[in-house]
Amino acid sequence: MKVKIFRWKAIGPLLLFLTILGVLVWIFAEPIAKDTTEEASSELLGTQVDLGKLDLLPRQASVDLRALQIADPFVLTRNLVEADEIRLKLNPTALAEKKIVIEHLNLQGMRFGTQRKTPARPPSGKGFTPQVYRAVQQWANQFNVPLLSLTPIDTIRQLALNPTQLTTIKQAQSLLARTDSTRQALEQGFQQLDIRPTVDSGRALVQRLGATDPKKLGVEGTAQAIQSVKQTLKSVETAKKRVESLERNTRSAVEFLGQGVQLVNQATEKDFAFAKSLLKLPTFSAPEIGEAFFGQVSIDRFKQAVYWAELAQKYMPPGLLPRPAPGPQRLRASGATIEFPKMEEFPRFLLEQGTIDFTIGGATPVRGAYMATVRGLTSTPALFGRPAVITAGRRAAGSTIASIDVDAVINHVTSRTVDSVNARLRGVKLPTFDLPGVPFRVVPGSGASELAFTMRGSELKGRWAIRSNQVSWLADTAGRSPNTLERLVWRVISGLNDLNVVAELGGSVASPRLSVSSNLDQAIAKQLKAVMGEEIARAERMVRAKVDSVVAAEVEPVKRRVTAVQAEANKRIQVERQQLEQVEADLNAQLKRLTGGLAPGIRLPEIKL
Amino acid sequence: MLGLLKLIQSIIKTLHSAGTPGQVAAGMALGSALGLTPLMNVHNLVVFSLLVLLNVSFGGGMLGWMLFVPIGFLLDPLFHSIGLRLLEAPSLRPLWTSWTNTPVLPYTNFNNTVVLGSFVGWVLLAVPIFFAARYGVARYRATVGERVRQSRLYKAVTASQVYNIYRLFRP
Repeated sequence: MKVKIFRWKAIGPLLLFLTILGVLVWIFAEPIAKDTTEEASSELLGTQVDLGKLDLLPRQASVDLRALQIADPFVLTRNLVEADEIRLKLNPTALAEKKIVIEHLNLQGMRFGTQRKTPARPPSGKGFTPQVYRAVQQWANQFNVPLLSLTPIDTIRQLALNPTQLTTIKQAQSLLARTDSTRQALEQGFQQLDIRPTVDSGRALVQRLGATDPKKLGVEGTAQAIQSVKQTLKSVETAKKRVESLERNTRSAVEFLGQGVQLVNQATEKDFAFAKSLLKLPTFSAPEIGEAFFGQVSIDRFKQAVYWAELAQKYMPPGLLPRPAPGPQRLRASGATIEFPKMEEFPRFLLEQGTIDFTIGGATPVRGAYMATVRGLTSTPALFGRPAVITAGRRAAGSTIASIDVDAVINHVTSRTVDSVNARLRGVKLPTFDLPGVPFRVVPGSGASELAFTMRGSELKGRWAIRSNQVSWLADTAGRSPNTLERLVWRVISGLNDLNVVAELGGSVASPRLSVSSNLDQAIAKQLKAVMGEEIARAERMVRAKVDSVVAAEVEPVKRRVTAVQAEANKRIQVERQQLEQVEADLNAQLKRLTGGLAPGIRLPEIKL
Repeated sequence: MLGLLKLIQSIIKTLHSAGTPGQVAAGMALGSALGLTPLMNVHNLVVFSLLVLLNVSFGGGMLGWMLFVPIGFLLDPLFHSIGLRLLEAPSLRPLWTSWTNTPVLPYTNFNNTVVLGSFVGWVLLAVPIFFAARYGVARYRATVGERVRQSRLYKAVTASQVYNIYRLFRP
């Protein structure tokens, strides 16, 4: 019987099934693509992305996105960018390879910093971007921004210090343990050194030879005596080397203990600063005032730059090695999807060129000619071969906002990555912000703002500056009357119409440095010093005396112990060395005497000691 | 509960279909691909088309799908590690590089560890599944098959409308 392989009658139902499948795809492709785009871009950027509508235009290989909103991950009630319409012209060849290559992007109705109708969802979960978001928040928290305290001195009464809070005590205890173990180690070293037998045998030989007359020993007897002296001198030499080795160890141990003492002293200074902070003494150090007033607001600016730079590092890695990424969300396990970049092929994502060039007319504050370009934004910069460049600008003389210029370069072409952004805003309404620690608020009015930020590998360099000559100040004492110092600060600042703030960031991502200065610092510091200087100095002396009294009982015995161990170790080394040198000198004298008796005028080979 | 009833119905109908044990087993071996590998992938469309076009038991295919879905979920960690090992193998890197840069092929999602691992797993298991199923169906028909055919349950199942549609695809 012939077995049928194909079921020809099923071709019809199969074609029907495939047709129905195609129709379903056609009907649901756009809503599914819209949801997927929202979901994927939200996950990618770590902030909520909303899309009003998505239209697929297969004949033109294009996609239209309408009512796009990208929320600001750090201010959830605000959008970073809002755009009415975006048209993406895709490369069909790349699409066949499941790659998104946007040949051209056209954007209309772009706005920055608009208010959201509903707050965005905060970044959460275990994905990469929420992790970066949390890491950046932690990064921002590591700056030790001083809090300006304007507590009047007359409220400072007593300082209660808990010894367990002081690091000096812990350092001293640790040093004590180290001192004891060092002393034991040194003691063990001296015991192992054990030069006594060498010294004793040397002395005995010197004594024995001293009692003999070389002329009576004869040739053989003298040769034997010389041999004995040479052997003992060798033993002395070996013992001296052992002493030298022990001396080196002792010296490093003593230095180590000295470093421990320095650490204790540094800890005492830290404890002093800590105790001072408990009193909340007003500072009149200009740099501290600058950081206290404008440190947090500066960090907020740099924090955003670090966040986007970290995302760029993740999504635009250098090199062409295979890259694993989490697989798609589904009921089954996601697994990992590995990308295999190949030279002269398309990258997984590439925005070749995007332009935004439009004008807003009328009398609105946002009127002006806008122009922005994005070039070479790609998931595999090594394939594109050039850095990604983003520029945005706006010109509108006489408008509320005179000019905006933003230039960003993401250079991940090689492993030496550089991310930089320069933003310059002129004649913009600067946002108002609170001065931390005091009940005052700055309203900078219209002015200029600049942000320059570069992340070279993990090295950071940033500068944020604001400048305004239309500053006004708001006091918010919430019904209470301000204290003396607050009134003093208010007198200083309320007379100022100019504000210049410069914040500079340096160091690395792991260990950043921030310095902030403003024209307020010197003015306020000078006034505070004139009024409060003497009383603050007295309070500081009181704090130092208190800290010293608490730590002295623990620290002084430790320091004495360290000194004693250091002195004892040095003394013992000296004694051992002297003993060996004495025996060596005596043996050499005997050797000279013996060789003189054996053959006058004949020089024996020198013995190097 | 409904799913369980459907499964029982499918088992009964398949085991008593006019197909030979070999046709039922081949259907099950093909259908197991739908259960073992993540469903929404291009290769499953090919498997489904084969299931329809080839003269194998379609019911067996559906039965294989249903039986192997939970097994697929259970074996996902194993599939992931198989896929990862294959995708990270330096000797295979040129293959994957060329595969993911060739039109259409990337839509197979074979650069995903679970998809590749489960597909390879299915390829390895398909032959054992075929022989085990063929033996099982033959033994069933030779032993308790006739008694079940006379039972009320079987008659109730075969009398349903769904069965009439099913008959369209039976071998």
